Parts: sequence; structure tokens; C-alpha cells
Amino acid sequence: MVLVLALGDLHIPHRAADLPPKFKSMLVPGKIQHIICTGNLCIKEVQDYLKTLCPDLHITRGEYDEETRYPETKTLTIGQFKLGLCHGHQVIPWGDLDSLAMLQRQLDVDILVTGHTHQFTAYKHEGGVVINPGSATGAYSSITYDVNPSFVLMDIDGLRVVVYVYELIDGEVKVDKIDFKKTTATTHSAH
Amino acid sequence: MSKEIVKEEAPSSSGVAPAESPAFASLRGLQWRINLGILPPSSSIDDLRRVTADSRRRYAGLRRQLLVDPHVPKDGTSNSPNLVMDNPLSQNPDSTWSQFFRNAELEKMVNQDLSRLYPEHESYFQTPGCQGMLRRILLLWCLRHPECGYRQGMHELLAPLLYVLHVDVERLSEVRKLYEDQFIDKFDGFPFEENGGPCNFDFKKFSDSGEDEIGSQGNSKKVCSLDELDPEIQAIVLLSDAYGAEGELGIVLSEKFMEHDAYCMFDALMIGARGSVAMADFFASSPAAESQSGLPPVIEASAALYYLLSIVGSSLHTHLVELGVEPQYFALRWLRVLFGREFSLQNLLFIWDEIFSEDNSPLDKVSEDSDHFSFKLLNSCRGALIAAMAVSMILYLRSSLLATETATSCLQRLLKFPESINLKKLLEKAKSLQILALESNKTPLSSAFGGAYNCTKSQMSSPNVPSVLVSPNTALSPLPDTYWEEKWRVLHKAEELRQNSSGKDTPSPSGKKRWAERVKFGLSRTESCPSPAREEKCKRDSHSVRRTLLEDLSKQLGLEEDAEKGGCFEASNLEDHHSVEVQGEGQNCAIKESLCTTENRCENRSGAVVCEENSSFFPDPPSPPGCGINDHENDTEKSSVASNLSVDDNDDLQRRSPEDSPHRVSLPPEDVSPSPLPENESSGKTSSTKERRNLSGKFQWFWKFGRSNVEETSDKRGGTNEAAKPPIHDGNRSTADSSATTASSNPHPISKGDTMDQNKMGTLKNLGQAMLDHIQVLESVFQQDQGQVGLLDNLSKNILVGKGQVTAVTALKELRKISNLLSEM
Repeated sequence: MVLVLALGDLHIPHRAADLPPKFKSMLVPGKIQHIICTGNLCIKEVQDYLKTLCPDLHITRGEYDEETRYPETKTLTIGQFKLGLCHGHQVIPWGDLDSLAMLQRQLDVDILVTGHTHQFTAYKHEGGVVINPGSATGAYSSITYDVNPSFVLMDIDGLRVVVYVYELIDGEVKVDKIDFKKTTATTHSAH
Repeated sequence: MSKEIVKEEAPSSSGVAPAESPAFASLRGLQWRINLGILPPSSSIDDLRRVTADSRRRYAGLRRQLLVDPHVPKDGTSNSPNLVMDNPLSQNPDSTWSQFFRNAELEKMVNQDLSRLYPEHESYFQTPGCQGMLRRILLLWCLRHPECGYRQGMHELLAPLLYVLHVDVERLSEVRKLYEDQFIDKFDGFPFEENGGPCNFDFKKFSDSGEDEIGSQGNSKKVCSLDELDPEIQAIVLLSDAYGAEGELGIVLSEKFMEHDAYCMFDALMIGARGSVAMADFFASSPAAESQSGLPPVIEASAALYYLLSIVGSSLHTHLVELGVEPQYFALRWLRVLFGREFSLQNLLFIWDEIFSEDNSPLDKVSEDSDHFSFKLLNSCRGALIAAMAVSMILYLRSSLLATETATSCLQRLLKFPESINLKKLLEKAKSLQILALESNKTPLSSAFGGAYNCTKSQMSSPNVPSVLVSPNTALSPLPDTYWEEKWRVLHKAEELRQNSSGKDTPSPSGKKRWAERVKFGLSRTESCPSPAREEKCKRDSHSVRRTLLEDLSKQLGLEEDAEKGGCFEASNLEDHHSVEVQGEGQNCAIKESLCTTENRCENRSGAVVCEENSSFFPDPPSPPGCGINDHENDTEKSSVASNLSVDDNDDLQRRSPEDSPHRVSLPPEDVSPSPLPENESSGKTSSTKERRNLSGKFQWFWKFGRSNVEETSDKRGGTNEAAKPPIHDGNRSTADSSATTASSNPHPISKGDTMDQNKMGTLKNLGQAMLDHIQVLESVFQQDQGQVGLLDNLSKNILVGKGQVTAVTALKELRKISNLLSEM
């Protein structure tokens, strides 16, 4: 029963001032066990804020991050699932599923979380899941200005993961969920 | 251990467990369930099974309801659940996730406590199965009773309950092993074969199985029918029969349903099941709704403890109150965990046996407008036993508590109850105190409420709550009082007497008593610090001397009175105590005291005489035989020599006084003096009569002085006599004072009479004779005392022993006075 928060592309303070208040009220410390952040926070204060929500924080480097020492990619194992994290600007074309699948195979993860497009997407692909949490602040991207703030909460429970998507559409929080079951338990050998 | 099956017992009233011989004494879990009210006390096995099954069902339902798994859709209705509400981050308190998180919080707290539960029995309590059960039970109970929440200590109440169930199950498995055939469900070996039937009975097979049984058990005999077994075993078998009422759910001693049963027991214990004692109250921090005192229940219960203690052991109670040891400091832990932390597990089980076997129904309706304050804790037999147990524990530590001088060390002793104790004694004492507690709770408390519980203003504001007082004046004292308690009691009686008899012009015995009592009241201030008083006594200051002498006198009087009361209690103990105490005192400063006290006695005697006689003129004093003036130190030695003489002299005095004085003072002395009185008679009379004798003697002496001097002195004396007279009505003490002033003022007229030198010699002679007089009086007193006390070796010890102390003391004091006078002249 592990709750993992996935978010990114906040672009604070350059493109957005802060998280939307409705999101902020939902994010209280104590409920979430892990936070994975795709990148582009951009300043240290945001990292500190995220740290208050949960001490276990994983961040990969986005192109506008002021902290240069974040890694490009990261992998971690939570429960029976292997998670992969990358900002996504390295994967070209941006947001392309096949390219992302290549990265997933490369990292050998069940769940790949990337960002950069500021659009929420979630694909089930080749026995794994590729998730893009979008932009938590709704900051404009290189591609478009029409961005809804969104983030993702994963509930990992044994061989099952439930993905809750929180989106702020027209000032209201909308929640959706996706179920995903893993067929085999994680082994240490590749595949 | 009763051998009766439950169904054969006569049906008793519901709610009362049979107290004489519990049906299932060996099956504690079952017995406790009956006692706590979960199972009906006297009914058939089937009923027991049914009730058990019902309670288990309830628990299972509760568990399903409250232990939520948010993944599982509730009731299968939600195909498309409202995700806005039902997501993990939802702030909505109704969502399953919020409930889940709340449960998680609670679980964290519970886990903290459980990990530290009973480390000395960790082989059972720290196993994951047991821990899981405990955790679930506590969680569910707290969720069911959100107003109480989880408090530290609840786990300690639950753990022994689970343990006894576990023990029961183990017992069951033992029985199962022994009587396996009763539980056997295998019918394969049954003799009826398909091919042939009885003729082809396969003896071999049967004998094999028989051998197997015998081989495996070693002591299992032939297959016996159910009715041939022990009733107890029978009961166990019936209770555990998988095919009985309610089937498997009804197996009363079941491992599978231990959690359910433990939950029921815990619930019953906490809620109290319509009874008076509900453990959950002790965990509450706010006052109960119908509380009379407005205090949190545990504080009130602790106060009940102190109240009971104040009745039973008032000295210990006052000692604790003085030190500032509030009862809740230690009683909180005792009550909340029902002594779980003070005793080992086995001992605790015995104690809980007793407590649970008591009825918990409230004894009388606690109504708002009751005219007296009663403790909720003491309102039921069970609560009274709990209180009594606590008080007996306090009393067990009595000696070490009385020895401590600081609150912290007291608390240390109370909180670290000794390991090896005589539990039987404790329990017996508790039982006896329980009756007392029930009694005391019924009677209205006029003035008593133990100790200084100024913790809440509401207590003061409530008119029903009695005001704070040191300790009650109840007459219940099942324990023999110690020396100091006696003193206290005497003191209080003295106070009462004083209040009753103020202003009366009574004859000397009661008057002396009164005065003595008043003095004793003064004594109360100095009792606790004997050494400064002693130092005072040794000072030559007349005022302090007088005060200390009065105290001394009172002490002796008190001792005399106590000696009387000694008959009621363990007489020998007390008397030895007294005599030892007094002798100790006597030895310390016998001589000085005796010297000092003679003055006092002079005052006493003169006061008494003035009280009775109205005339200011007094008869001719007998001419005392001349003797050395500075014989003070030799008094004791002389007393032995001249004892006979003194007796005669006393008689002379008495005889002369009737001749001379026209009044009745002489008559009582004549009656009383010749016969030495046994100790247990009213000592006051003897001493007072002796006093009176001496007083008359003294007055005669003073009168002598007056006569030998010029009229001025006599006038002055008359004036002082008159001055002495008005204060008569204030009581003897003031007369004593006035006579003291008389005595002290006497030297002055005498000194003014210095002009008449020829009278000096005469006065000196008279003085000397008077001194001898007094010495002889002392000797007479000692003579009388000797026979009673039986100490002949050192008469200095005898000075302050027995009834004659008073007179002896007065005489010695007078001698002192004389010496003063002479020194001035």
C-alpha cells in the first residue's frame, strides 16, 4: 500500500508562481511515501517544499533546473515494481511512445515516468506503463500555452498499481484512475 | 474447585456469578467471561455456546466493517466510484481513504505500545500472531468508541485477557490429548465392516487401534462414555464439541476465535456492562457527565482511595497528605491498568479473579440531588474491592512510607511495588476493607474528605462535596492504632470535651482533665518536635518552663488516659510503648524536669484549691520538718528513704486541712488517698486528689508566709488570691497561670517584708519545712507508683511513670520555686 507521487515541470518561478491552491491543499505530509519528480522545478525552494511532503524524493534534471547535479535518469524499485525516471527532453521526438519505449527497455523498468511535454499521457505498452504526469503548475511549454495543471499518484499494492490522475480543469479537480496489473513478480535477471 | 457442571447448578439471579464455588475455576477465560457478563452465568452448555457464537459474529461483522481495504469496493455497489471523493489524497473525511489513514494513525500509536508489552513474557506476547490480534482488537475497539480513543495502558488491560484465553485453549488441548476418543471424528475404524458385519469383526484391526491408543498415550484407558468422565472434563468436552449448538462457531474454548472472545471481554471490561466500574472512564480526561465532584473520574477514584485510607489508617493518610503526595500520582497507573504493572502476571491473574468475581452492579442510584457525596468507585462491590485492594497495597508499604520524609521517595516506594509479596494476605486484607468501603460510602460524609484536593474549583463550588478536612472522626478503626494515632484521637477528644465543658465550674478531676486536655492541644504543636521542647524545659525561664511543664503534664495525663484506653486495644503493646517512651523521656532530663514541674504542680494545686474554696483564709499549715534547702538532686534518693514518712505526712496534711478548711476539699482526699489504686481505675481522680492535697499544702505554706509577714503581704496575698479567684471560671489553666502569678508575685511581698529581719529566719525555716513537705509528697507518689509499675532499680525513672507523676511533678516544681525564693532572699 505504497503511495507514490509523480509530478514535474513546475517551472517555478520563471513560468509559474506556485502550485494551484487546490493541489496544494491536497498535498499534505504523511500520506505519501515517495515522490518522483521529472525535473524543471526549477529552484531549490521547490525541492525543499517537496521534501516537506515526503523525505524520499527523487529528481532528474530538466533543462531549466538551476541545480546541476540532478542525474539524467533514475531507477528505483518500490514493492514489486521497477520505476524509471527521466525528464524527457533527451528523448527525441519529444513524447513519442516508441522512443520512450526504447528508454524503458534501456532502463529495464516496468513503469517509466517522463515529462517535458506538459501534457498528461499514460500508455500501457509491452507489459509496462509509460506515464507523463504533465505540469503540476500548468506552466506553458515550448509547444503550447494551453496547459492544465496535473499530476499523478500511484498506489502500488503488490502486483497491482492503481494510477490516479489529478487534473485541474476549469478550476475543478478531476480525478481519474487506471489499473495496471503486473503478470510476473520482479526477478533480478533482465526480463 | 467445584465439580459441578453448570447445568446442574440452581439458577441464580442474573448478573451475579456464584461466589462460593465458581463453576469453571480451572478455566479462567471462561470464568472471566461469565463474570464480566458476556456469558450467562448459569445455564446449559448449549446456551453458553449460543451466546459465544453471537458475540463472535458481532465481532466479525465489526471487523469487516471497520477494517477497510480501500481497494475493495464497498458493498460491490460502486462500479464507477466517485473518484473525486474516493482518491487517496481526498480531504473528504468520509472517503474510505481518510478512514484508512485514520486507522493507520491509530495503528501507529498502538504498535508503539504493543512492542513494549510484557517483555518478560515475550515468548507469547511478542509473537506476530498475538501482536496482530492485540493490534486488531485495540484498533477496532478504539474505532468503535471514538470518544475514548486509544490511550496508553489499554493494551495492558487487554493482554492478560488474551492470555487467559490462550491458557484455556492449552488446557483444552491437554484434555484433548488425554481423552482423544471423546473428540475423535474418525469413524473409519468403526467395527461395522461392510463385508459380513459383526461376525466378521476384525479383531485385529480393533486391537491394533486399541494398541495404538495405548501406545501413544500411555495412560488412556478403555473407551469410556461421556458421562463417566470428570464433570469438568465433561464440560470441556461438551463445550468444544464441533457438533454442538452453533457448530464450530460455538466451541467455547477455541483458538480460532480467540480474538473475538478477547474483544468481547475487553469491551465488557471497558464499558462496564451496565455496572458501576467502567475502565474506560479511567482513561477519560474530562469529568463524567453525572459526576458529582466535577473531577475526571480517575481523580475522583483516587480521592476515593484516599478517603478509604483516611478511615483505615489515618496516620498514614495524614502523613501522605502532609508530604503532598496526591493519590493520583500513583493511583492513576494502578487504576488504569488494574494493578497490571505492579504484580507479576500470575499474581495479577489471581487478583483479577477476585475482582471479576465481584458484582459490578451499582448499589444505589447516584442522583444529582443526593444529600451526601458518594464515590462512584465505591458504588459497587467490584469498585469497592478495587479500592480496597489499592488501600491494602498502600498499607502493605506502611512502615516504609511512614519512614520517608519526602514526597518523591514516597512515590518511589509506591510506584515500585515489591516483587515478592504475600498475595493471599493482601487479598484477605482487601476483602475486609471492601466491606468497610461499602459501608463508608453509604453513610453521609459530614466533614470528611481525604486530604487537600484543591485541584479543581468546581469541587469547592459544588455544595454537596464535603469541605476539606484532615481526617474524619469516624469511629471505624479495624486496625489497632499506633501510639501517635492514639495521641491524635485523645487530642481530638480533648478538644471536644473542652468545647463541651467550657465555663463549667466542675470539681477538680474533670477540671484537671479539661486543663490537661487544653494543654494537650498545645502539646499537639510540639509533639512532632520533641527535642526543642525538651531544650525549652531545661531553660530556667519561668514562662517557657511553665509551658513545657504544662505540656509535660499533659503528656503524662494523656499517657494515663491512653493507658486506660490501652485496655481496648492491644494493651500490653501500648503500655510498654508508653512506659518505654516516658522512661526514655524521664531518663533524659529527669532531674531538671522534675525540678521544673514542681513549680507547675504548685500552681495546679493552688489553682484547684482556689477553685473549690471560697474563703481566702486558709488553715494553719502543718509545720513541715526542717530540711536542707538544696535537696533537689537528692529528691529521688530521699524518696525511697522517706516514703513511709511521706504517706503519713500526707495523711497529716489531709487531716489538718479538714480541721482548718471549712470546706469540702478535704473529703475527697480522705476517701481516696489511703488506698493505692490499681492502674486501670480513673487515674485522674487519684492524681487530682494528690494534687489537691499538695495544693492545699502549698496554700497553707503561702498562708504561713502571709501570717509571718505584716498585713501588707497578707493583703497583697489576699489581693493575689482574689486575683486568682476571678479567673477560676476560665478553667484550671488560667487558674494555674494565676496561681503561678500568685506564686511569682509572692516573693515580692515577701521581699518587701525584708524589713522584718526577725521574720526572715522564721520564713526560712518555714520554707525548709515546706520543701521537705513536698519531697515527702513526691516520695509518697513514688511509693504508690512503684507497686504499679514495678521498676524499683532507678527511682529516677519512676519519676515520670504512672499516675503519681502529676503530683510528683508539682511537688518538685514547688521545690524549685522555693529555691528561687531563697536565692532572691
